Amino acid sequence: MSESIIWYLREFLRTEWIRKFLLAKTDPLVTPPYFKDYPTLTGKECTACYQCMMICPAPGAIAVLRHDDGWRPEIYPGHCIRCGLCVEACPEDVLQSGRVLEAQHRDRTGFRATFHLSIDREICMRCGNCCISCPVGREGEPDGAVLKIEKGGVQILNSDLCTGCKTCEVNCPNRGIRVARVVEGVQEAAA
Amino acid sequence: MSLLQKLKNRVRSKSIHVCFVDVGSCNGCDIEVLACLAPRYDIEQYGIYVHNNPREADILLVMGAVTPQWVDKLVAIWEKIPEPKAAIAIGNCPISGCVYNRRDSYIDPPAAKHIPIAAQVPGCPPRPTEILAAILSLAPTIFENYEEKKR
Repeated sequence: MSESIIWYLREFLRTEWIRKFLLAKTDPLVTPPYFKDYPTLTGKECTACYQCMMICPAPGAIAVLRHDDGWRPEIYPGHCIRCGLCVEACPEDVLQSGRVLEAQHRDRTGFRATFHLSIDREICMRCGNCCISCPVGREGEPDGAVLKIEKGGVQILNSDLCTGCKTCEVNCPNRGIRVARVVEGVQEAAA
Repeated sequence: MSLLQKLKNRVRSKSIHVCFVDVGSCNGCDIEVLACLAPRYDIEQYGIYVHNNPREADILLVMGAVTPQWVDKLVAIWEKIPEPKAAIAIGNCPISGCVYNRRDSYIDPPAAKHIPIAAQVPGCPPRPTEILAAILSLAPTIFENYEEKKR
């Protein structure tokens, strides 16, 4: 066999080598399963607690919107930075992305957040945008509103109702209201 | 379709020249574009070549939330590219300004305000595969039968 002229030609011309050289391709480009893509809905019910909006670091990336069949968070791809914090912050596991939920359930991690609303009386022009836009409480509801225009200025009525969603901050035309958020990661002891 | 046009289509589908311009990004997207050049993603096996010279480019990759210093220069670069041409916005910054789009930040997004953007690749930063897929899916729509479409 090794003396045949065809074998010799094949070895000498290196057909395999030439084919690999000319038709070089890298491995197929597949997205690995652990890739943290844009969060998707798991189908669990959203309770509109606004934790995802509170923790989101990118402006305009997530909004919890009311649809006919209930509340749902919506992710805006041109704004979302795929950090996965909303997935971790959500107490109901409404969102999922990559292995974030899996790791969170395994490690029993979560976030604990405190908020502080501050109003700059010098800048505030009492337009009431913050009070109108606040999604948490409404005037007349049993819990009452978080903010209200009273006595010629914005008054913080129920600061413990605040979820830190920053809607008032976004809608304020001149940065009169700021939401300071202090978020710390917590881990439960293994059961 | 004439034989010449067929030949042009065939050649152009394997010869896409890319120029990238960073108009004030954090370099995250630049690194992802560089990863496209590296052996793992190897952009040249698809016939995409990076020259970084607008005069010989077909596709302009725009990265970054347009800073005021870049506004006129981005338009100048876009005008230097010969027809047929297209611009792709890479990353969130040229689409929305991403995390820089806050009050008092010194940027002017979106990039589509300044030059016509044909495709957007959202992500902060986008994966190299997403950049690659965007270039490969945009190229035929821009370059195929260009002479016939122009008429």
